[in-house]
Amino acid sequence: MKKRLLCALLALSLFTLPGCKRDPEPVEVTAFAMDTVMQLTACSGDTGGTRAFLGELTARLTELDSQLSATREDSFVYAVNHAGGEWVEVPDSTVLALLHDALSLCEVTGGALDITTYPAVKAWGFTGEERRVPSPAELEALAEKIDYTAVALSDWAGEGRRGGAALPQGMEMDLGAVAKGFAGDLLAGEVREVGITSALLDLGQSTIVAVGSKPQGTPWRIGVVDPAQPGSCFAVVELEDCAMDTSGGYQRYFEQDGITYWHILDPDTAAPARSGLASVTVVSPSALICDGLSTALFVMGLEEGAQFWRDHPELEFEAVFVTEDGEIYCTAGLERRFTLAEGFEDREVTVLE
Amino acid sequence: MRTKVIVFCLLAAVAASVAWLLFCGESTGSPIARISREGVLLEEIDLNQVEESYTLTFEDERGTNTVLVEPGRIRISEADCPDQVCVNQGFISDGTVPIVCLPHRLLVEIVGAEGDLDGGAG
Repeated sequence: MKKRLLCALLALSLFTLPGCKRDPEPVEVTAFAMDTVMQLTACSGDTGGTRAFLGELTARLTELDSQLSATREDSFVYAVNHAGGEWVEVPDSTVLALLHDALSLCEVTGGALDITTYPAVKAWGFTGEERRVPSPAELEALAEKIDYTAVALSDWAGEGRRGGAALPQGMEMDLGAVAKGFAGDLLAGEVREVGITSALLDLGQSTIVAVGSKPQGTPWRIGVVDPAQPGSCFAVVELEDCAMDTSGGYQRYFEQDGITYWHILDPDTAAPARSGLASVTVVSPSALICDGLSTALFVMGLEEGAQFWRDHPELEFEAVFVTEDGEIYCTAGLERRFTLAEGFEDREVTVLE
Repeated sequence: MRTKVIVFCLLAAVAASVAWLLFCGESTGSPIARISREGVLLEEIDLNQVEESYTLTFEDERGTNTVLVEPGRIRISEADCPDQVCVNQGFISDGTVPIVCLPHRLLVEIVGAEGDLDGGAG
């Protein structure tokens, strides 16, 4: 009897060993593109093939970047911004699709997202030069030139051409608030197409796209940076075939005369958006929606942002709002996938219904 | 006597598999800070071996970053880049979110102490 028990124990201990078998080592590739550092991780049995494939994806990112950058003089966006109102032919259908998607997001958010804030972003010095605070008169003039409805798109059907875009003279666009999201969806599609079922595409520290779950079958666990101490995360969101994006005033900012000015501008005022929020995180199957809406909801503020969430179930997104006072609000659909991180368990979370 | 030997062997087997399971679980290695520029590793520091704080300076034609190394954590404390995003981020102590100085292409990341997160947004 005793022996049988012992044999059973031995058998059990042997059975637990295979469960410990290591999953294939994830392959990770780092690239600088779109003004950020991107880390692409994929798990599959074929390490060499996966590495080569991720290399192709980073090349794709660099190519997109070269068309969409507002600062590179050979980019499509730069050409549109400096064409003096003339039409500029799009380099390919992907860029045209991005422009259509970006303008739809501007429209659905009532202009809280606007891709034509670039002259204002430059005036504040957020494009790399010295930071400065423009005068009220200058801001008023800049705000008048922010209007996404002035972006003209043409599919040029029937002419055998790819289509084009045009902007009135003096206006400039920047796709920085949507390009990473768009790229994330594009890349995730390519990852799925080659049959990789587990990957994490970190397109800079704001846009993250999860393909499938972790190799072990559990969801990817992504931290949300605490706006009060950007070195740590206050919450964890579980992702499975889903994207997320965080926008906050703590990422790019400067201080002058005791006032903090951050890089997210309100298209209505051409000045930093002061809505009482410190950060907004958006979770959605579409990385483009995550990217565009995190900026738009930050501009809208908590109340308007929550109402936007209630009014637009068709956009299939959930959100986490953190106010400047450190209050945390989470939309109802995210409740099961959202937990407070270690050390932040005592923080109160208000669920928005 | 024979039974005792068998019991001993079995207990040893069970203990070994338990130990193996524990070993296979979450990696609780030492946090290693890796400082690199455009993929070229410049410095590797075991943060658990740091007893006293010190600074390191990294300079190239793009500019200068001062890295402050403390027991168990690391930050960029000074930089002459225009955006100061790297300085504003403060200390990191695990692999969730790296510190990036984009204008200078400098990357400070921690490996070996991944914690339970696969990434961070913000």
